[in-house]
Amino acid sequence: MMSYIWLQTADGSIQQVEQEVAMFCPSICHEIQTGMGSSKNCAISLPSQVNPAMLSLILDYCRFHQVRGHSNKEHKSFDEKFVRMDTKTLCELTSAADSLQLKPLVDLTSCALARMIEGKTPEEIRETFHLPDDLTEEEKLEPLRNISDDPRIRLLNRLYARKRKELKERDRSKNVEVEEELVDERSVDDLLLFINGGNGASKDVRASKSKKKNRKRKDQQNCAPSNCTDKESNVLNSMRHNAKAHSHFLPNFGDALKLHIEDDRFAPEGDFDDGVDDPVLREEIDREVEDFARRLNSDWPERMQEILSLGQERKRAPMSTDWNGSLRTYARLDLVQK
Amino acid sequence: MDNVLGRDMISDLPLSIIETILTKLSIGDAVRTSILSSKWRYRWATLTQLVFDDKCVSLSNDSANAENNLVKFVTRFLFLHDGPIHQFALSTSFSHSSPDIDQWLLFLSRKDIKELILELGEGEWFRAPSCLFSCRKLTRLELVRCELDPPLSFKGFLCLRYLNLQQVLVAPDVIESLISSCPLLESLTLSYFDSLALTVRAPNLKYLILEGEFKDIILENTPLLVAISVAMYMTDDIAEHFEQSSSCNFDKFLGGVPCLERLIGHIYFTKYLSIGNDLGIIPITYSHLKIIELYQVSFEDMKEVLVVLRLIVSSPNLQELQISGSSNASVAIEAPDLDFWEKECPSDYTLNRLKTVKMTDMSGVPHEMGFIKFLLGKSPMLDIMSITPSVYVTSGKLNMLIELVRFRRASAQAEIVFIQDQV
Repeated sequence: MMSYIWLQTADGSIQQVEQEVAMFCPSICHEIQTGMGSSKNCAISLPSQVNPAMLSLILDYCRFHQVRGHSNKEHKSFDEKFVRMDTKTLCELTSAADSLQLKPLVDLTSCALARMIEGKTPEEIRETFHLPDDLTEEEKLEPLRNISDDPRIRLLNRLYARKRKELKERDRSKNVEVEEELVDERSVDDLLLFINGGNGASKDVRASKSKKKNRKRKDQQNCAPSNCTDKESNVLNSMRHNAKAHSHFLPNFGDALKLHIEDDRFAPEGDFDDGVDDPVLREEIDREVEDFARRLNSDWPERMQEILSLGQERKRAPMSTDWNGSLRTYARLDLVQK
Repeated sequence: MDNVLGRDMISDLPLSIIETILTKLSIGDAVRTSILSSKWRYRWATLTQLVFDDKCVSLSNDSANAENNLVKFVTRFLFLHDGPIHQFALSTSFSHSSPDIDQWLLFLSRKDIKELILELGEGEWFRAPSCLFSCRKLTRLELVRCELDPPLSFKGFLCLRYLNLQQVLVAPDVIESLISSCPLLESLTLSYFDSLALTVRAPNLKYLILEGEFKDIILENTPLLVAISVAMYMTDDIAEHFEQSSSCNFDKFLGGVPCLERLIGHIYFTKYLSIGNDLGIIPITYSHLKIIELYQVSFEDMKEVLVVLRLIVSSPNLQELQISGSSNASVAIEAPDLDFWEKECPSDYTLNRLKTVKMTDMSGVPHEMGFIKFLLGKSPMLDIMSITPSVYVTSGKLNMLIELVRFRRASAQAEIVFIQDQV
């Protein structure tokens, strides 16, 4: 004797369903136990996600699975055939099954959805599921996203990052108040670099330092920003390139020393706040410092001897026994001579 | 056409379903969904089950580079992750530089991690940092190729249910105290340990799997054990130790497991049990023991034969029996006690539930045949007895068959299947 229960779907229509089949759904089972569904008047009302089409699919699933006699293989092949439906129906079915707490069916449909996502490109996935392409270009290429290994994204990311930096520099140049804090920041950066031995951080610090230097010069000179920007950014770029080249020349003495040479390029600028206003002269000084650094890097051991011997002659400059101190002194004095 | 009219159906599914879907993808694919649309941007970041392996990052030929990529990927992922992490599994063939993994473990210990699985590569074994021992909520711990050295203040993983240590370097007393300090431990697996004398005290333990060179295994307090699988390897010192041992290993091992349902012994297990075994009063009946599998039993060694007998006689509800022999009988040996089986077993004893018997690697040694005869005579419900001769037996097969055919069968429906070698 087959007993039936009554189910009411969201659109109001009422159906009669074999009790055994319907009991396979935990939430319906629960309702039956509280006495509902025995007649048309007290039909069990199903959640809104379950429309008649979904209900019939779910009942098909339950009808097969509640029979005990099937082998694992039969279950598997039924499941595989069952999930062959269009994407829209699959999503609706997942939602409906979830609302009825029918976990095995939710797992099955989730697996099918996962299979549709894995290995596909974002465009393909968007097309399959009609997803809106509503992230801005920048959001898409933010480093956040970059933990996957897609080389195209990485390359575009780098280009965008560079462009963004340039834009930001231009913006910040209009901001006068930020300046004072920068001096302090720089020394913190120095410290960090020194502590960390300059691994990897060097590039960023160099870039930020060049930014700050750029800013300072502009503020002091108040010249037409556009011209200065071009020249300075060129200089900055060339310096950056040189710095990179230098990294090859100092295998033994470690990054820390190399950075201190670069620091010294900047340090004089900070100290000679009062002195050099003329942009052209500034550039000259920059180039000379560059030259100096290059020379220093290329014949390091001999240079060290020179520095040591020179250092001993100068009495007024404070001499510290470590390399860094002597180097800084030498750089400063060299510039003063010029 | 459909693109314009179609509605986005998937992004509005409940979060739990989205998480289920993302969990079924590889972790690299899951992260890539962040680029799909604004709703998907951070869905991956709240995943609670993280499974990393060498396939996460694109394979490159340079192994140092690939290792580096994997480290970067995991570090960035953890840094951008938001919310609790329940499971962290890392399986890689690289042996990573410790600082990265130490930092990941520190991060995870702060996220109430529940399941931790670390499988690292050959090379210098990873030394587990002390923050591993401060993961209070751990319920599952699996380590492969690590070094464990818990701090003195370590009081145990109070929630740990499943422990699996494979090729882990740890002091013997540390292992014992680790096991006994995890009160909820249900499943313990120890593989490839060297020369360990192990005493297991685990009141909730149900499943025990041991593999390695063990000098001694004492199950002191394991009343709830349901399944045991032991593979004991032999070395020279262990062999010596066996010879000098005086206590009864059978009692030490199987003396306190009344709920046992399944017993599997490989290699030298039966030999281990045979030491110090006297068939006197049998203290325990394993009334739940349904399946016995003993491999490499030497039927020429009377002591091992005694062990088999004792097990059979103590398991009235046995359903399935599988035994593989390890005799090398190129010469027919005169066995001293051929009706040993009938003598030592109570005459009214029957194995009423025994349905399946599988004897493999049989060489036709007298006691093997005697045992088969005994089983056939005592199993009224037997369905199948399958016998596979050892590959070394060439001419003896016919003799075996001749003997087999003579044996009386207590079960009318018993089938005897003699399996020829399938070339």
